[in-house]
Amino acid sequence: MSADPLQGLASVGKGQSTRSLLRVIILALIAGAAISSRLFSVIRFESIIHEFDPWFNFRATKYLVANGFYNFWDWFDDRTWHPLGRVTGGTLYPGLMVTSGVIYHALRALTIPVDIRNICVLLAPGFSGLTAWAAYLLTNEMTPSSSAGLLAALFMGIAPGYISRSVAGSYDNEAIAIFLLVFTFYLWIKALKQGSMLWGALCALFYGYMVASWGGYAFITCLLPLHAFVLICMGRYGTRLYVAYTTWYALGTLASMQIPFVGFLPVKTSEHMPALGIFGFLQLLAFLDYVRSAIPSRQFQTFLWLFAGGTFGLGLLGLVIATSAGFIAPWSGRFYSLWDTGYAKIHIPIIASVSEHQPTAWPAFFFDLNMLIWLFPVGVYLCFQQLADEHVFIVVYALFGSYFAGVMVRLMLTLTPVVCVAAAMAVSALLDTYLSAKSPEPQEAQAAESSEGKKATKSGLRSTSKPVVGVYGLWGKSMMVSALAVYLLVFVLHCTWVTSNAYSSPSVVLASRMPDGSQHIIDDYREAYQWLRQNTHEDAKIMSWWDYGYQIGGMADRPTLVDNNTWNNTHIATVGKAMSSREEVSYPIMRQHEVDYVLVVFGGLLGYSGDDINKFLWMVRIAEGIWPDEVSERAFFTPRGEYRVDGEATETMKNSLMYKMSYYNYNNLFPPGQAVDRMRGARLPEVGPTLNTLEEAFTSENWIIRIYKVKDLDNLGRDHASAAAFDRGHKKKKVTKKRGPRVLRVD
Amino acid sequence: MRLLTTLLSLTLLGAPGSLAAKKSAEERFQLYHSKALSSAPVKLGDSAYRELTSTPRDYTVAVLLTAMDSRYGCQLCREFQPEWELLARSWTNGDKQGESRTVFGTLDFTDGRDVFMSLGLQTAPVLMLFPPTVGPHAAVSSDPIRYDFTSGAQAAEQVHSWIARHLPDRPHPPIKRPINWMRWISTFVVLSGGLTASYVAWPYVLPVIQNRTVWAAVTLISILLFTSGHMFNHIRNVPYVAGDGRGGISYFANGFQNQYGLETQIVAAMYGVLALSGISLAIKVPRMSDPKTQGVALLAWGGILFVVYSLLLSIFRQKNPGYPFSLPPFM
Repeated sequence: MSADPLQGLASVGKGQSTRSLLRVIILALIAGAAISSRLFSVIRFESIIHEFDPWFNFRATKYLVANGFYNFWDWFDDRTWHPLGRVTGGTLYPGLMVTSGVIYHALRALTIPVDIRNICVLLAPGFSGLTAWAAYLLTNEMTPSSSAGLLAALFMGIAPGYISRSVAGSYDNEAIAIFLLVFTFYLWIKALKQGSMLWGALCALFYGYMVASWGGYAFITCLLPLHAFVLICMGRYGTRLYVAYTTWYALGTLASMQIPFVGFLPVKTSEHMPALGIFGFLQLLAFLDYVRSAIPSRQFQTFLWLFAGGTFGLGLLGLVIATSAGFIAPWSGRFYSLWDTGYAKIHIPIIASVSEHQPTAWPAFFFDLNMLIWLFPVGVYLCFQQLADEHVFIVVYALFGSYFAGVMVRLMLTLTPVVCVAAAMAVSALLDTYLSAKSPEPQEAQAAESSEGKKATKSGLRSTSKPVVGVYGLWGKSMMVSALAVYLLVFVLHCTWVTSNAYSSPSVVLASRMPDGSQHIIDDYREAYQWLRQNTHEDAKIMSWWDYGYQIGGMADRPTLVDNNTWNNTHIATVGKAMSSREEVSYPIMRQHEVDYVLVVFGGLLGYSGDDINKFLWMVRIAEGIWPDEVSERAFFTPRGEYRVDGEATETMKNSLMYKMSYYNYNNLFPPGQAVDRMRGARLPEVGPTLNTLEEAFTSENWIIRIYKVKDLDNLGRDHASAAAFDRGHKKKKVTKKRGPRVLRVD
Repeated sequence: MRLLTTLLSLTLLGAPGSLAAKKSAEERFQLYHSKALSSAPVKLGDSAYRELTSTPRDYTVAVLLTAMDSRYGCQLCREFQPEWELLARSWTNGDKQGESRTVFGTLDFTDGRDVFMSLGLQTAPVLMLFPPTVGPHAAVSSDPIRYDFTSGAQAAEQVHSWIARHLPDRPHPPIKRPINWMRWISTFVVLSGGLTASYVAWPYVLPVIQNRTVWAAVTLISILLFTSGHMFNHIRNVPYVAGDGRGGISYFANGFQNQYGLETQIVAAMYGVLALSGISLAIKVPRMSDPKTQGVALLAWGGILFVVYSLLLSIFRQKNPGYPFSLPPFM
């Protein structure tokens, strides 16, 4: 042991094992930070499942845990999409549910009794720790500097772009998919670098897991072939690439076809075609390679390119013909909207209506990535320095990912990993330069430069043709390092602030501030769902807009007409038509679908923006897409083109079921003539709407949720309007013929 | 609007009815159908319009009321006109016998000012579909059905399906788009020219293609474009700049979900400057052999980085007023 404690302290971190230990500790701390920064919502509210889709995943997980895997696989759910039902087992990505099911059973086997809900709530934060680790591994493949990996792990752990989909309670496919994405990429790089079949097979295994978890697997399916193609174009074809790619493709495709929801899509749809095409192309290249080794020839290179190019062109032609002839499916709508950006708006209102399918404005990028967004190009530029195979991957991923993130807000999620990796490379390059205590001697440096300057480097970037000298002054180093420390500090503060303010709201429970600054919880959703659970028949069918389908299924446990799995556009349009038509039209629709209760969300009292009147135009649009003669979006706008809800609203608007249900009895809350919609800032007419075919069943504390019961047919055989009029005490109108001036018909 | 058209058809019943009475519905249809066969859609004037749409009629009339003259500056009219002509021509040619009993006509504002006035039309183009009032396909109401071009110029196919929907149990001749020979030929010429040029220029182009710096520049520029919201501008067609209401220019849109074209360019430029200073600090500065130059460069790039980042934060704070972080000097 060293006698001097200072020297002993300095030597810590020099040895190999101490370094590994430190690295493990740092990674563990990063994982801890990643997990704990996602717990805001649990601490503020409670351990609750968030938003919409997670409620379905939660319900499916409960079913899996209760009924076992095989029943889950064959699950036909007759409580959604009434009366159609849904083949749930065959139309979902089971990875998430199976993961939490396995964790649940493992913990039970260890005699640790944990509620399945808590596993579901905490799954996403748990996996974010793993994602940070995967980012560390991926970055270490890119650069020899070990600090880059740790920085990447840190960035990945707390970048809001990833936190947005992985806070505690956000129990969605992305929760585990981002870890699988990054880890699959790491395994791919590993397989490619070593040309190893083992790593390729591992890559395929995790790719299969990814396919089982998230529809975003198509991102991998397109990115890896693209990377391979770019490498081939750069003349870097070799056995390593061949082994890695073919192993991944063959095994990975087989694995992906085991998922019922995916099935034969990998050989049918166009978004899987690049992978198949590159697979065939590689076989051709390998064949030509073999021929070349057998028949030596000088012109072989030209022949090879011509042959390969010709075959590729022919294959592309065949693909186009097969697509146009209908042998293989055309681009699916969601995917197509990524390329032709105007497509969705015109043809598929249901896709355009989802807010996460909107394009991304620049503040969203900065909000989600902060300083990483400008460090990102620096890192990509650094990749061009060496431009080994793995750096090409980062470049391709960066371009591809930033395009898609620009087109669709939700794809920010797939961009975040590469941003973190590239930015970590940039920061670590800066830190490595400016943190080193060694300062160069000017004479030596100049001598070295003059000797090396003569050896002109042909390849590489122009800016890196000179040798690295180092930084001279201590003041410069300390200035840069302290500035970097400030930026990093701002980044951490930013991430925490964004997570705490923007991404930690369960949206099932709302929070508002009282005048004295204390927090007030608005719990209308759960109040209403609880009411449904307690007061309605178990098989009472609830009609609502599709946004609330999963929540009703999950929290109220009642059958719904439509839900967030928007697979049947016509059925959704039916609900849209019922909501946007007059009562006389809507009532038969509701009777035909055996609707017992109708649920609407109304934010007028509280000023809650996510309510149904604000979403109403989408219902109209979707309904208009199916029944253009009966529903017209134009009729909901005033002649001056305004969308109004007050006295000036159009007759169609005032007579629509949605309007009536939202504002029914609302004016009784206010003094006569003073009713105000606080959301839209509109003064409502003095006489509220009347409802004939529905009766109010429940209205939550803040009027956010209103539930109406659909009246049964009248006992006396009257129509509902006259029955309601009779109940209101109006005398039955004498049926008298209007006697206008007599007109002689001349036709 | 509906009231006005009703009034109009009432007046049509009255005064010009005497004019229409000269010819029977069948004669009128044959006359205009033969006109349409020579050149569809039939170009109508005031009187022809009134004659064609007079009741009783046992045929359908589809009239496009448009304003093609450049004085009126109707962009939509000019965009839709070729589609309309294509629709009318392929319908009429596909139905030479007149089995669908439909006449396509165009009424330009310059020829039919009175019709526009009597219909009270403020905008153009408007497509009116007059259903038959007598005969096997007679509609309940003789009022014309109006097609509004609310979402821009429509393709002929969309209008075709709209018309077909209102004419049930009748033949609907499909649209036949003529092959655009000019376009094919020009594509072929351009393509072969491009191939020849690239073949000739290949030795000069190859070094550029293989140049890593060029690729790096292209990559970085595209990344900056995408991350500064260029695709949003492209999809949403945002304005380049907007006035601030006091005669000046407002460079930054209010609100988190909005942006202007110029705004994204400013942001992209700022990202570019930040990235450039990052690259210089990481790559160029440590490669400078002269201590003095290096010190100056370090100070300059470090300073630029700090100031621009501070500016970026302050702009972001303007977009998102609740944002609490800032760096000097733009606090």
